[in-house]
Amino acid sequence: MPWLLKRIGTALILIWIVATIVFLAIRLVPGDPAELLLSQGGVAPDPAAVAELHEQLGLDRPFIVQYGDNLRRLAQGDLGRSLQDDSPVVTEIARRLPRTLELIAAAALFAIVTGIPAGMLAALRRGGWLDWLALANSSLALSVPVFVTGTLLVLVFAQWLHWVPAGGYVPLARDPIAHLTLLTMPALAIGLGLSATVFRMTRAAVLDVAQRDYVRTARAKGVHPTRILARHVLRNALMPVVTVLALHLGSLLGGTVLVEYVFNYPGLSGLLVEAVNARDYPTVQAVVLVISVLFVALNLAVDLLYAALDPRVRHA
Amino acid sequence: MRLRPAPVAAVAAIAVLAVAVPILPLDNPTRMEIAHRFAAPSAAHWLGQDEYGRDVLTRLLWGARVSLSVAAASAGIACVLGILLGLVGGFLRGIVEVLTVRSMDVVLCFPPLLLALLVVTLLGPGAGTLIPVLAVLYLPGFVRVVYAGVLTVRSQDYVEAVRALGAGPVRIMGRTILPNIAGPVLVQFSLAAASAVVLESGLSFLGLGVVPPAPSWGLMIGAARATMTQSPLLLLWPCAALTLTILAMNALCDALRDAVDPHGVPARRRGAVRLPALLPGLVPTRGPALEVRNLTVAIDTPAGVIHPVRDVSLAVGAGETLAIVGESGSGKSLTGLAVLGLLPPIARVVQGAAWVEGQEVLRLPEPARRKLRGGAIAMIFQDPLSSLNPVHRIGDQIHEALLAHARRGGERLRQRVVALLTRVGIPDPAARARAYPHELSGGMRQRAMIAMAIANDPRVLIADEPTTALDVTIQAQVLTLLGDLRRERGMGVVFITHSLPVVAEIADRVAVMYAGEIVEQGPAATVFAKPLHPYTSALLASAPHEDGSLPDGIPGIVPLPHELPPGCAFAPRCRHRIPDCDAQRPALVETGEGHTSRCLRWREFA
Repeated sequence: MPWLLKRIGTALILIWIVATIVFLAIRLVPGDPAELLLSQGGVAPDPAAVAELHEQLGLDRPFIVQYGDNLRRLAQGDLGRSLQDDSPVVTEIARRLPRTLELIAAAALFAIVTGIPAGMLAALRRGGWLDWLALANSSLALSVPVFVTGTLLVLVFAQWLHWVPAGGYVPLARDPIAHLTLLTMPALAIGLGLSATVFRMTRAAVLDVAQRDYVRTARAKGVHPTRILARHVLRNALMPVVTVLALHLGSLLGGTVLVEYVFNYPGLSGLLVEAVNARDYPTVQAVVLVISVLFVALNLAVDLLYAALDPRVRHA
Repeated sequence: MRLRPAPVAAVAAIAVLAVAVPILPLDNPTRMEIAHRFAAPSAAHWLGQDEYGRDVLTRLLWGARVSLSVAAASAGIACVLGILLGLVGGFLRGIVEVLTVRSMDVVLCFPPLLLALLVVTLLGPGAGTLIPVLAVLYLPGFVRVVYAGVLTVRSQDYVEAVRALGAGPVRIMGRTILPNIAGPVLVQFSLAAASAVVLESGLSFLGLGVVPPAPSWGLMIGAARATMTQSPLLLLWPCAALTLTILAMNALCDALRDAVDPHGVPARRRGAVRLPALLPGLVPTRGPALEVRNLTVAIDTPAGVIHPVRDVSLAVGAGETLAIVGESGSGKSLTGLAVLGLLPPIARVVQGAAWVEGQEVLRLPEPARRKLRGGAIAMIFQDPLSSLNPVHRIGDQIHEALLAHARRGGERLRQRVVALLTRVGIPDPAARARAYPHELSGGMRQRAMIAMAIANDPRVLIADEPTTALDVTIQAQVLTLLGDLRRERGMGVVFITHSLPVVAEIADRVAVMYAGEIVEQGPAATVFAKPLHPYTSALLASAPHEDGSLPDGIPGIVPLPHELPPGCAFAPRCRHRIPDCDAQRPALVETGEGHTSRCLRWREFA
């Protein structure tokens, strides 16, 4: 499949560009990066510490050597060491990434399970009170930023009603119930807005597909309306929904920052915020790189899914 | 361009407040009164005081100023830069295009919040960092919109004309292109600004955006979190302010988008209107496979109710072909769709009756009608590519037609599919059954459509311009196929077309439609030899001549459905017009055996 090879090639090039940008970012900032990283509150850093950091980051070697070395290490899966405790960054990422992915998956599940049926129903009852109500609801859901949703969820369900803890994380293996309970609120905070997006996309797509010629053909054949909806409308309407959902999930890879912070959820984004605050540049660099690679991989997966849904893509 | 006023007013009100904050009689937003920490709302402090005793209302309003200025500045910078890059890239193409437009894709492969965090690490928090970061995030959106706009506009005739007149590129961009892309850019601006408010508040909430003690909604929410149990109001005020602002801005985005691109705005749809019951004693004529009597279709438009099909009566016997001829917009397709019950949602039948093999169908409940569709009465459409579902195999789509009317599925139906494909002349039918529509040629696709339509041996086949999308040799083959099938199965065929040569080739009878009415109907040979309506004559005269001489066109245009003349609809274009023609709508009169005309002067043509 030359189409697939081309698509994978593009993805690899994008990842290379991202790695290069992340590499350049620290070196393009005016001034000495090591000094910049170590200076706190305008106090000039200790020259010895600067020299040490220079050596640690390899800043004293020629630029091109640094770049080549950087790419070689990345290709081997070596993402560098944290400036905070000198541990390999990759270990911490491997520990936290699954938690963030689980959170995103839970939010996506909620959005799909609620958004797609609601969107279909609203499209079928277009102009009715149900449609109107769902549209108004989605407008509101789209207008509340995730950290506001999250904070209000904590206020209502943790502080006032005491139904759930305000936040935290328990591994699944230790206590599955507590694990899922703690997952619910952050997933809901992300999922509400996402669900509104999926709802709107589904509604628009179903309305669009329902007036296509091939749906009319299916009706002309005397096909049962339920079957038309399932086989003709939904299958075609899902394509744009899948695309948009995937784009949103992609931006969630870095976008769970706020929710993880609100719910004290020790995910990948939390690591990023900690690293940003500690000016731990190797960690920031590594996390950004990992997230971007996932982002590119996700887009590749969407294209593959698209090809599975639409036979025309495979031949394009 | 019509814009809904409410969202505009709401956003304008917030913006005015934000601009006017410094001159309003308010406290200093950073003045603390530690003694009055967490004070409840009072006359002096309408919304109470925060954890440092600062006035909440003042801080909210100043927060609006901060949020909106960050949003406006970043969206503004992105807008200006984006227009420049998009214009240059779209206009100069080549390597410049790669540098200005394609390079933007790189920004898009970072999740937005992540990119912002990365830059904040390097440059430190604060509004000064925030604005350029957000501007970079929104830049690709503007570049793409402008680039796309330039590409569409630059190829248009008037731009070419201006260029031919010697205008330089800068002038062309300023004069012709910018006004054309103003709408989409405005939409993009509102989207960017709304998104900037969200991102700014989020980053400030994390302590990475606006730096305290400057007031910001994100910061206020972040600070109030710590004390949310003792004073939830402190949390709720900025949450409400932020949400309402974003709500207003989103509503403005939607309003702008609808105003720029009215395509998506749904038309108003009326509830189902029941047809009046059939008059007792109104029964079908014995014999015809399909009889339509006095069919009228109405569509509700913003300009009022129109009737694109009026008082249409026709009949087609078993094994007979009736051609409905007319220009586009004459109502011929709607007539076919109305009989099948496939009218688009905005249209409805308001009068008339239709019998298929003696059974009235217009008043049947939908489930019973569905059983007829694809069963006793089938339809073929004009464009086989768009009429076939792109994601399902040809064989499956034909199988579905069989399945919809079969008592049970099974291998027998699968064999029927191959047999049908063989019958319509598709070579290697077993393999073609597994093909997708886009893998077949136009002719093959239409044959597959025909196979689908005849799957259940319909008594009536309505073919709506089935050969229009095909080239001439294929047209002839498809016509022959339809003729053979009609004879072989004794179907009544209603053939809708605008092509007179096609009519001459296949039709037994012909009905000529003009502006929603049948103006002449009769045996094809008679109508062609001696037309009894000036429109039919004009139509015949306008067909291409065999000797290659230019045909006579019909002067004037078809009247719009809501501007029909009171008398004969064709009168304004008619050479034989007399004053009586404008007085009242002529009735369809019988002029001979099975021949009718809607012309007052038909006797003079006979």
